[in-house]
Amino acid sequence: MSGSNTIDRRDFLRVLGISGAAATLAGCGNTAIESGVEKVQSYVQPEDFVVPGVGVYYASTCAQCGSGCGVMGRVREGRILKLEGNTHSVISGGKICALGQAAVQVHYNPDRLTTPLMREGGELKPTTWDKAMATLTARLGGESTLKGAQIAFLTGEVSGHQKALIGNFLDSFNSTHHVVYDALSTATGQAASKAVLGAAQPLLQIDKATLILSFGNDFLGAGVSPVHMAAQYARFRKAPRGTLIQIEPRMTLTGANADRWYALKPGTEGVFALGLAHALLEHGQFAKTVPAPIVAALKEYDKETVSGITGVHADAIPHVAGMLMEHTPSLVLSGPSAEGQVNGAQNAAAILLLNVILGNAGKTLQGQASHPFPQLIASAGSYAALTQLNNSMASGQCQALLIAGSNPIFSAPGFLPFAKSMEKVPFKVALVTQVDETAAQCDLVLPLHSPLEAFGSHVSSYQPRGVEIGIQQPLMEGLYPDTRAFGDIVLDLLRQREPKNYKAFPDYYAYLKLAITKARPVFKSKLSDDDFWEDALRSGVLQLDAAPTALKTNASVVVVSKPEKHVIDVRYPFYFVPSVRADLRDGRHANLPWLQESPDSLTTIVWDSWVEIHPSTAAEMQIREGDILEVQSASGSVRAKAYLFPGLQPDTVSMPLGQGHTAYGRYANGMGVNPFKILNPLFDAQTGELATHATRVVIKKTGEHELMVKDEGATNLQQGRKLVATVAADQAELAKETSHVVE
Amino acid sequence: MIDRRDDSDIEIERRFVPKAKDINEDIAWAQINKDVLRSMERPRPMYWVIFAASLALFGFGVFCEVYQYQTGLGVADLNNPQVWGLYIATFIFWIGMSHSGTLLSAILHIMHADWRKPIYRFAEAMTTFSLMTAGLFVLVHLGRVWQFYYVVAYPNERWTWPNFNSPLVWDATAIGTYLTSSIVFLYFGMIPDLAICRDTATGFRRKFYWFLSLGWQGTDRQWANFRVAYLTIACFLIPLAVSVHSIVATDFAVSQQPGWHITSFPPYFVAGALYSGCAAIITLFIILRYVFRFEEYMTMPILDKTCRLTFAIAMVWTYLNLIEYASVWYGNDVYAKETLIYRATGLYAPYWWAMNFLGSVVPFMLAFKSMRNNLTIMMVVSLLLNMGMWLERFMIISPTFAHGYYPWTWTSGWWPSWVQWGIVLGSFGWFSMLFMLFCKIFPTVSMYEVKEMVYHRSEARKARNL
Amino acid sequence: MSLSNLIKNWSSLRVKRPYQDQYKNADYKWGMVIDLDSCTGCNACTTACYAENNLPVVGKESFSKGQAMHWLRIERYWGEGTELAQFPDHGAQFLPMMCQQCESAPCEVVCPVGATHHTPDGLNSQVYNRCIGSRYCSANCPYKVRYFNWWQYPERAWPNPLEKQLNPDVTVRSKGVMEKCTFCVQRLTAAKNQARTDGRRVADGEVTTACAQACPTSAITFGNMADSQSQVAKIWARQQVELASDKQDKKDEGLRGYRIFEELRTYPSVLYLERVRNSDA
Repeated sequence: MSGSNTIDRRDFLRVLGISGAAATLAGCGNTAIESGVEKVQSYVQPEDFVVPGVGVYYASTCAQCGSGCGVMGRVREGRILKLEGNTHSVISGGKICALGQAAVQVHYNPDRLTTPLMREGGELKPTTWDKAMATLTARLGGESTLKGAQIAFLTGEVSGHQKALIGNFLDSFNSTHHVVYDALSTATGQAASKAVLGAAQPLLQIDKATLILSFGNDFLGAGVSPVHMAAQYARFRKAPRGTLIQIEPRMTLTGANADRWYALKPGTEGVFALGLAHALLEHGQFAKTVPAPIVAALKEYDKETVSGITGVHADAIPHVAGMLMEHTPSLVLSGPSAEGQVNGAQNAAAILLLNVILGNAGKTLQGQASHPFPQLIASAGSYAALTQLNNSMASGQCQALLIAGSNPIFSAPGFLPFAKSMEKVPFKVALVTQVDETAAQCDLVLPLHSPLEAFGSHVSSYQPRGVEIGIQQPLMEGLYPDTRAFGDIVLDLLRQREPKNYKAFPDYYAYLKLAITKARPVFKSKLSDDDFWEDALRSGVLQLDAAPTALKTNASVVVVSKPEKHVIDVRYPFYFVPSVRADLRDGRHANLPWLQESPDSLTTIVWDSWVEIHPSTAAEMQIREGDILEVQSASGSVRAKAYLFPGLQPDTVSMPLGQGHTAYGRYANGMGVNPFKILNPLFDAQTGELATHATRVVIKKTGEHELMVKDEGATNLQQGRKLVATVAADQAELAKETSHVVE
Repeated sequence: MIDRRDDSDIEIERRFVPKAKDINEDIAWAQINKDVLRSMERPRPMYWVIFAASLALFGFGVFCEVYQYQTGLGVADLNNPQVWGLYIATFIFWIGMSHSGTLLSAILHIMHADWRKPIYRFAEAMTTFSLMTAGLFVLVHLGRVWQFYYVVAYPNERWTWPNFNSPLVWDATAIGTYLTSSIVFLYFGMIPDLAICRDTATGFRRKFYWFLSLGWQGTDRQWANFRVAYLTIACFLIPLAVSVHSIVATDFAVSQQPGWHITSFPPYFVAGALYSGCAAIITLFIILRYVFRFEEYMTMPILDKTCRLTFAIAMVWTYLNLIEYASVWYGNDVYAKETLIYRATGLYAPYWWAMNFLGSVVPFMLAFKSMRNNLTIMMVVSLLLNMGMWLERFMIISPTFAHGYYPWTWTSGWWPSWVQWGIVLGSFGWFSMLFMLFCKIFPTVSMYEVKEMVYHRSEARKARNL
Repeated sequence: MSLSNLIKNWSSLRVKRPYQDQYKNADYKWGMVIDLDSCTGCNACTTACYAENNLPVVGKESFSKGQAMHWLRIERYWGEGTELAQFPDHGAQFLPMMCQQCESAPCEVVCPVGATHHTPDGLNSQVYNRCIGSRYCSANCPYKVRYFNWWQYPERAWPNPLEKQLNPDVTVRSKGVMEKCTFCVQRLTAAKNQARTDGRRVADGEVTTACAQACPTSAITFGNMADSQSQVAKIWARQQVELASDKQDKKDEGLRGYRIFEELRTYPSVLYLERVRNSDA
């Protein structure tokens, strides 16, 4: 580091979170709300595109999940009214999901935090920004002596320049403790994929596949980049129509769209996959794809053994194997129900092995294009990181904790004493738009701008085509005078920590603008810096064409152990599958009334939690819909109404995640229960990640009964009416409809 | 039932004729006047009990309606398929009740059935008040009752007319016409009696009756005009009455819903209407006979004839009901058949079977003379018949909504809220309150027609004896 | 018009709608196609509808009483016939159901005040100001897609500042009126006005409904059927479904287009394409 007023180039790039590469620029179009000034214009002297009574669209990026979809916000009379997909965005393709639509309710939520809160006498009380920042500065400002592990920053999935700033902020303490926690982390699957396919998150070319075999992968629902996947799926379904086979213990939204759906016992996905591998390898054409020891070990996976373990009919194995051989290229996917097991990584590896055998790598599976700014890419959250943080807090090592976009007190499993450990941290700061369970335990709660009021950038960990950086621009002026942008707060602190590096930036806007314009050469733009920035705001995305990379598969890492039946603990006879709703996710969106009232796709239940139980099991136990059941695991119990659900392995019960909030505003509080709290401390043997789907439970009837709040009426069958007509694929002439293909 | 006497009653009671006996043909005309006018002064205490109960029920109904008006129809627990609930069911019930007044006064008048004479007046009043009650339900069930006048075809600057295709507009027109006509008919038929009231009343009452009696002097010319006019109105009223319930039936028959789209609905509804109206006449007959000490005028033979008439109509209704089931069962409309099966086996099956039992089996009690002669039994039977008829209307509305074309919206357990029940009970209070007030203010037994009847009968006897 | 004239022309006064080529010379006839093979049941369309059309969130209690206000609902059926096997082997059956904008709409004839009527561009409109809330339209709707304002939602569904999200182009309905899917008539009107100002017809793809715009799989296609070159018109033609016919006489086999309850002769403007399942899988 050099003199007080200059920054050297390397440091500068570190500050901005960028460091070079090369490609071309794409996209332009609408108008930008900003011309360098963060003010909405008065109607006395309006911009010519601001006409009272006429909605104007501005591009931005959705921050509801980590997919980074480009969105367009409709702004009228200075108010953001609705979000649509941004057609410039490769990720969203001009489309938007329910979750994205509901972002306006994050912004206009009546329970939003509008002033800073500070703990005084054990209670959180409203305070002023001056006082709040004074407290913050005293602890974490230039004078702070905290070092290394003494400070930690806990976030959910975060990317772009916000992530870079967090990193830089922690750097100034010599800390690397940016803890990313995602209750629905796919770390196990990513580890397996890295080992077998050579990429943690390979590109799924769904539209190129003629057959998809998915082991519980909910790519249409709560998976990665669902909007993009849905568009691909639509192309997959057009002539020549691809076939989707789904194998899972509890029907997901993707399973609901399958041509054939198989129920199997949770945790036996690997066994089934190896059974398929065995069936395939009996045909000479695949023999060379896997090492001989594996072929030998697979001998034991004959269809009767596999059927006995998985509970799937023995004929299914040669049938599915036959389908896989007939249809090339195919695509085999593993999902949370396979991965969230004590043998999760092993399951996933066995499933992905099928791709190797079938030679799908390079056809339907490819490596993501290399990213010019890898440090902006969202880092994957993991349970292991949270445990580490918990230990650090419990041991008293952690002295200051900042939390943004993560709510572990709600979403961490009940056995992890996170709340207790947190009490030992002397200074806890939450940066939130609305107080949640974790923020309620902090000492200082800072009210954030909603994503619709703040600048930012998003770089999804899943880049479907080339490289896309989503630019998030404010779609309206701050709704409340006393909220601030996340970037501004971190930048404030950084200015105090490293004045020489950061005093050039009056606010996060200036920082982001400079960071983006400095990246201009990478996008090979011939525009001036200002025009480049304007252009980025107009189109909402920065894009770079880049070819997918090749995958290096490695079949030898797959461990083929002897096929073994599950040992059943008679005290807990049922498998417990927590299901993830595409809208509520891990519960962070339970405060949005549209999503609460949006019927769950498969059960049509609203505003509540429920216990899914197979009708045949329910008949045996004499359980009717609406009977209140107690679901008890070794770690705890919850009570919810029974719902008879046919898409379920009969030895399994399932509950949706996301409900059961106690301090998350009027729309979330008191709705349902939180199944995170009954998960058992079981971990994947290889990665140490939480085995979310491995808990076993016992069901008890309480004798109470309540009306189920659902959209479905007295019947869920079509009763002989032609409502949803189904036609066999070989009867439909899809090829004649091809001009109706989604562009 | 009626042998308690107090001192003031002695004179009247002494002349009391045995139950089975018909009206005393030798009764003096002055005595008729006296007896009837007396009813307007001091009824039995039961009158006040009934009146107070009606007032209380009505008050509760008003409370429910105000609550519903202020808060929205949501308080009635109505929902997407179940959009009408008890309101329209009870509306049809009251429209039905209104039919027997016309039957007794107009149809039997034309057919010269003289036994109707002592009881047609209150039946006619029943018609008027049940129409007024039915009209209330049209208003009560509206989402924006304050805009009800949009249904009326009135000239306005935008030339917006009601939709003349809609059976609801036919309804509004038909009910409005019928109500007006039956008020006119009721009032017109009362004029000679009002003159009698005028002649005996004092104070403000005298002025009241003087005003209402329109200068009736009982001259030959007045009587001659009166006869012609009365007959004309009666003839006008009969097709009107038939059309009103036919039109109410088209509310359903014209619509497309399974279980409603049935051609035989209009006659079926008319039969049901006459049926429930006759049953209600039996009920009110027994009540009035006791409360106003009309034992001598509302005699057992009249009740007997009314019961026989009711039985006949019950059988007609049963026949049309079976025809409806049969045409649905053997018809080609699978959805309608499904709804019929749902009625018999689904959530509302107990009510459906009760409706059939009460409507078609219980009336057989009326076929036995011994039963017909027992006032207590007849009271119970008439109430049961009306309950059956109310259930019939309920069975037309709710099961069709619960099990219509669209399976997704089939309801599994719809039940009306207390607000709906409150308003339905309130309507009974309102009806009974109006009716009781009427009986106190106006002569409930037509004096001049009873005189005619007594005169004709004694003349006939004389002729026989000669 | 004299009485004799009236009697003479009685039959011509009673026009049966729809009739062949009714919209042949019209500028607009809005129509829709929903491909059930693409629909995944993800609820993006329904939420978009809430956002666009100021639909109130009724809350748990009202929802439990069946008073939900979703103009567009996704139905989910199990089983292939009338029975469900042990498992739904071929997945669930999702059906986005909204007002079908029938050409011969059962709701229109029965409304006593004419609050719901047919517009020249083939929409089944709902005039909130005229509605008195008799709910006869809902009673007569075979699809049960009409929703009634049981409560005074403006007071309860949008606590401050949620009301700032309300779309100013769409009325917020008071208690006691009926409402339903309008095919986003506010968007259509704006587009038609713009086109009229420019002296042209609305181009295909220039305007679409909120649901079609959001749908991640583009299962919903919306457009002007009077324009034979529009996507919707082409799909209807390719599927050989006639708007004004109640029995489709299809020349080719393997076509997926059908309308729900066509036999009731409501002549819906929404064409569904059959869901496809690979029976070999």
